[in-house]
Amino acid sequence: MPGWLWFLLQFVIIASIFAYFIIAGKKAKKENKTTWFMKTWKKDSVKAITSSVMSIILGLVIGCLILVIMAIIPSKTSSLSLKTALDGIQLVFSGVFNTGRGASGLTFGFNGVNFGDMLFRATPLILTGLSVAVAFKTGLFNIGAPGQYLASTAVTLILALAIPTSVVPPLFVWLIAFLGGILAGAIWGAVPGLFKSFLNVNEVITCIMMNWIGANVVTILFDKESGPFKFLLDPSGTKNLAYVFKTTHNNVATSKFGLDLIFKGSQVNGGIIIAIIIAILIFIILDKTTFGYKLKACGSNKNAAKYAGINDKVATIISMAIAGGLAGAGAALYYLSGNTEFAWETYQSLPAVGFNGIPVALLACNNPLGVIFSATFISLLDVNGMQLKYMTPYNEYITSIISAFIVYFSAFSLLFRQVLDGSIKINLKSKFSKKSSATVEIVDKKDEKVANQEVSE
Amino acid sequence: MENYAIEMLNITKTFSGKAANDNISIQLRKGEIHALLGENGAGKSTLMSILFGLYQADSGIIKKDGEVIEIKGPKDANKYRIGMVHQHFKLVEVFTVLENIILGCETTKFGFIQKKEAKEKIKALSEEYGLNVDLDKLIENTTVGMQQRVEILKMLYRDNDILIFDEPTAVLTPQEIEDLLKIMKNLANSGKSILFITHKINEILAVADRCTVLRKGKYIGTVNISETTKSELTEMMVGRKVEFVVQKKESVPGDVILDVNNLVVAGAKKNKNSVNNVSFKVRQGEIVCIAGIDGNGQSELVYSITGLEKIKSGSVLLKGEDITNANVYRRNKLGIGHIPEDRHKYGLVLDFTLENNLVLKKFEEERFQKFKFIKRDEIREYANKLIEEFDIRSPQGPTNLARTMSGGNQQKAIIAREIDLNPELLIAVQPTRGLDVGAIEFIHKQIVAQRDLGKAVLLVSLELDEVMNLSDRILVMYEGEIVGELNPKETSVKELGLYMSGAKRNVKEGN
Repeated sequence: MPGWLWFLLQFVIIASIFAYFIIAGKKAKKENKTTWFMKTWKKDSVKAITSSVMSIILGLVIGCLILVIMAIIPSKTSSLSLKTALDGIQLVFSGVFNTGRGASGLTFGFNGVNFGDMLFRATPLILTGLSVAVAFKTGLFNIGAPGQYLASTAVTLILALAIPTSVVPPLFVWLIAFLGGILAGAIWGAVPGLFKSFLNVNEVITCIMMNWIGANVVTILFDKESGPFKFLLDPSGTKNLAYVFKTTHNNVATSKFGLDLIFKGSQVNGGIIIAIIIAILIFIILDKTTFGYKLKACGSNKNAAKYAGINDKVATIISMAIAGGLAGAGAALYYLSGNTEFAWETYQSLPAVGFNGIPVALLACNNPLGVIFSATFISLLDVNGMQLKYMTPYNEYITSIISAFIVYFSAFSLLFRQVLDGSIKINLKSKFSKKSSATVEIVDKKDEKVANQEVSE
Repeated sequence: MENYAIEMLNITKTFSGKAANDNISIQLRKGEIHALLGENGAGKSTLMSILFGLYQADSGIIKKDGEVIEIKGPKDANKYRIGMVHQHFKLVEVFTVLENIILGCETTKFGFIQKKEAKEKIKALSEEYGLNVDLDKLIENTTVGMQQRVEILKMLYRDNDILIFDEPTAVLTPQEIEDLLKIMKNLANSGKSILFITHKINEILAVADRCTVLRKGKYIGTVNISETTKSELTEMMVGRKVEFVVQKKESVPGDVILDVNNLVVAGAKKNKNSVNNVSFKVRQGEIVCIAGIDGNGQSELVYSITGLEKIKSGSVLLKGEDITNANVYRRNKLGIGHIPEDRHKYGLVLDFTLENNLVLKKFEEERFQKFKFIKRDEIREYANKLIEEFDIRSPQGPTNLARTMSGGNQQKAIIAREIDLNPELLIAVQPTRGLDVGAIEFIHKQIVAQRDLGKAVLLVSLELDEVMNLSDRILVMYEGEIVGELNPKETSVKELGLYMSGAKRNVKEGN
């Protein structure tokens, strides 16, 4: 399918959905009925999703603007033109569907490699996103996901590579490495929890310290000259940079579960299925069990939880340990895939996938099921960005800027949420009638709710 | 034609189809104190929010000095010299009193704030009206009473001549209330017009000139205070006759349930204990009331009995079992029900639904969970039962967020939860704070019913009426110690006041 047609199709579908709802809503209002749509609209979850989508769209639009601006700035060296900007915009929105370039421009359709890679990259992000979300639900800010991820990386790789598969069956080695990684992450996460509970040290501080402790411990473990696990390094590396063997070196790898047949030629493996199952489990634990009830009670009102006889200290520690374990599971699944290698450096940096868990959780409003989608979306941006790099003269850094914008606007999703709730009114009329700019009027939420209450009594 | 300072005529305001204000008119004369009386949810706050510009009326007009005006926001209200003291003060905690008063209308010279001029103006104002404040103190270090005076000075500093007081006495001690009422009279005498929103009839009788009554969003009537009585006003407000004196039988004390011995709780400052060597007993079938001025150790005493605060020395026995070092969970299981003083801080998880709040102490019971999985249907059923029994009203019933319920209904939810625990000892701390007459009557009846069922009740209250009406035995606390034990039938409010202020003491050991 030619690119412009593909693009138009997407646009028409989205526009007609919007148009349907608006027309149906207006009609219902006239007849004083409530439609299915209006009822659904009032649900919190729908508002949460809408606000996230709004922030994504805003981020994408700004990203496209950057592409256009880049294209129209005259430059002797750049080969950018409005034509390439148009290509770029198409790729930013739907690069994952790109199938190459035909005579009439970019062509689009189902691309198994892109899709599979998107799912592969989403796997660790889902888990770090869950890690941050679980901690948020208990009122804690887990900025320690990178450290937990690193700790798990080291333990997973050591276990997966050092246990001889000639003695232990590979499947068991895989399981031991996976659980070992989770445990390492959990320990790394539990430390800030312990400090918070017993010494009242803010978890953000201890999490950041644990991040760097993790980075340096990994450096020591895999040091090319003196590290106890230097025998796991690929000998081809330099003194300052070396790669740990892929786990396939020891015949250990996550099963593909047949996904490689659907997405031929991509890196996808069963990890994504395990990640989704874990997300569903976390959702069930938080939403359906007494344990989740306890955690959420501590998260929303620590004093009331204490008053009700819930041990808030234990809840804090367990919640941080679970958060750490989830980040650990992310690292374990990523490196157990068999086709990724861990780059050891003299100065180990913190893995970005740990920090990216924060926007993933925010974009999903901390809903474990939402995390599946927000993480997939962030990795979709990644894949789109790769396509932008391959198919147009834009360089790869532009794609990072665009995804940064979307992540940046994801922090606005709360603002959009308040607009949808009506607690913030954006007065556009005054913008056009008077010279003054748009006024944002923040209505005291409590006052409004009290007033609504008065009516209902 | 009479000259009114402010007139609100035929105001109607609806929220999602329901009328919060239905054709309400109120006329404020110059220099009068005009009370606005109504239960929680009668539409008082909505009406005042319209006057202050926070909401726009759907229909109706507002006149100032006979001229129609339009108030679109607090800025407009300020322009027409309308000031408001909100129920929850709007002050910056880390600013000084002076900075709070001038905030938003600072006089500056080359960009520097001219504090000196402001100081002089405020000093003159505070002397004129008897508003004693310490200008250089930070708000966070001042008492609630002083914070309120700061709010009043804020209005006066802006030369407001129409002053709205929204439930100003809800957070004050009896002494502070007396002072406030005096100040209000001074203000009215010097020509300010005051709108006084409240549901406490005694205060209206004490200061107001006229009173407008609202009920369920409707205008009931305006009366001259000199020509009315307490019971007439109550009937107008509630729509039926209300019993002020709680009907209760003679108490029949049984076994000792709570036994507190030489209890000491450390204070925030190291050299002073907040609870000092307190001993008392509470028996089955009696209501023991701890009276005292706020901040004399009552809260800490309760927290130490319920396990929220550590005990320094002494012991607490419940039904003979030593619970001095037991955790909160154990104490709850042994039969302590606790209606906490601060319902937002301790009583409720505000972002949970009503049903989840109702099972806050019960969610681990067998009937609400199976293999640790919550049984939603059982909880819903249980919540509906309590909602009906205790008449807890909220727009969405059991799935309503606790945060969006009115204060009275939040309190009812807590009381329902605690009473349904079927506790051996019910500790109720200021259970009726900020509630209207109808709700107070209901809660008092529930507490007496618990006593008649043979439960031990420990009541902590700052309201003298409540203390005298409800209790079978009064213990007065002063500076962390119990300074007297009184029989409500043999004592008077005046005598109680003497004990509360530390002027008198009589201590019987070991009862």
